[in-house]
Amino acid sequence: MRRRRQPEEPIKGDMTPMIDVTFQLLIFFMLTIKFKTLEGKLSAYLPKDVGVNTTQAEPKEKLEIKLKVIAEGTKLMPRHNQAWTGEGAFRYGPDRVVQYSVGPRTTRDIKELAKRLHELFQANPEQPVTLDALPGIVYDDVVQVLDQAINAGYRDITFIGYDVTKENKAG
Amino acid sequence: MKLSRTDPKTDVGIDMTPMIDVVFQLIIFFMLITDMTQKELEELVLPDAQNADPDKPDPTVVRPILNILADGKILVKRRVLYDPQHDDGYTELKSFLAQQALRMPKKPVNDDGTGPLVPDNPLLIRADQSTPFKYIQQVMYLCGLTGIQIWKIQLAAAEQNPDQKPKPQE
Repeated sequence: MRRRRQPEEPIKGDMTPMIDVTFQLLIFFMLTIKFKTLEGKLSAYLPKDVGVNTTQAEPKEKLEIKLKVIAEGTKLMPRHNQAWTGEGAFRYGPDRVVQYSVGPRTTRDIKELAKRLHELFQANPEQPVTLDALPGIVYDDVVQVLDQAINAGYRDITFIGYDVTKENKAG
Repeated sequence: MKLSRTDPKTDVGIDMTPMIDVVFQLIIFFMLITDMTQKELEELVLPDAQNADPDKPDPTVVRPILNILADGKILVKRRVLYDPQHDDGYTELKSFLAQQALRMPKKPVNDDGTGPLVPDNPLLIRADQSTPFKYIQQVMYLCGLTGIQIWKIQLAAAEQNPDQKPKPQE
């Protein structure tokens, strides 16, 4: 009589080394992936009409926020409170002073800026915002201001691009 | 007729097959994930922001990611497109952006559907917290050039986590 199904055969050969290697790989990938933290993003815009001939003029007056460095601050290591070694990335200490100008008013306190933006948004929620950074400003400063502007409720936030290479040659 | 189902010498006791299957699945999963993230995202210290939207990348959407290091080096997918030490006048970055802009879906520049078509997808800028903003302004300037005209940008930030950030010393 022929059997229809072969009986299950036990696994032949030693599986232990393969399982060992597999686990090693698994542990390696699990550890490497841990470094990737969840990232967030802040949306903003660039002037739409640069280089394009648009018939539409800008009808709305924009709220301009200017950033200027008053005191550069001490450079610290990116993740510790130790002095910067002079190589690679760094972070500014709490003694960094940045001046924020919103229209005619200026402030050096980010909380005051947040309050002011909140008031202005309540008064005119439709107003677009432009962010302008003077030389010396780093990415962190801009993100903090952008964060406060978004927090106040503004969604139409525009940056102004500069051809830095040309300005350097001219100056 | 007697059929012995198992051979007592080689029998491991438990069937290992499902476990090995699951482990292989996990390995494949982690390999794919690490490959995707490490290609595009450089190791940077992003500034903290409270209002950052969580970023869920969609591989079907064309969204170039520029990594700008603290020294102004611009990397895309591990390739250096601009290095302030070997200034090429941003030609390489310009051609990259133009090429990306070409692949993006286009929309008319004005909200009422008139005007020339401009790319409608964003560009994600990931910069280190200490990157001078002039490098980013330069990228923004390049985005506005004829043939690129990318006008939507996203600035990467870390979602605020008070445990990770060192406490400021007074």
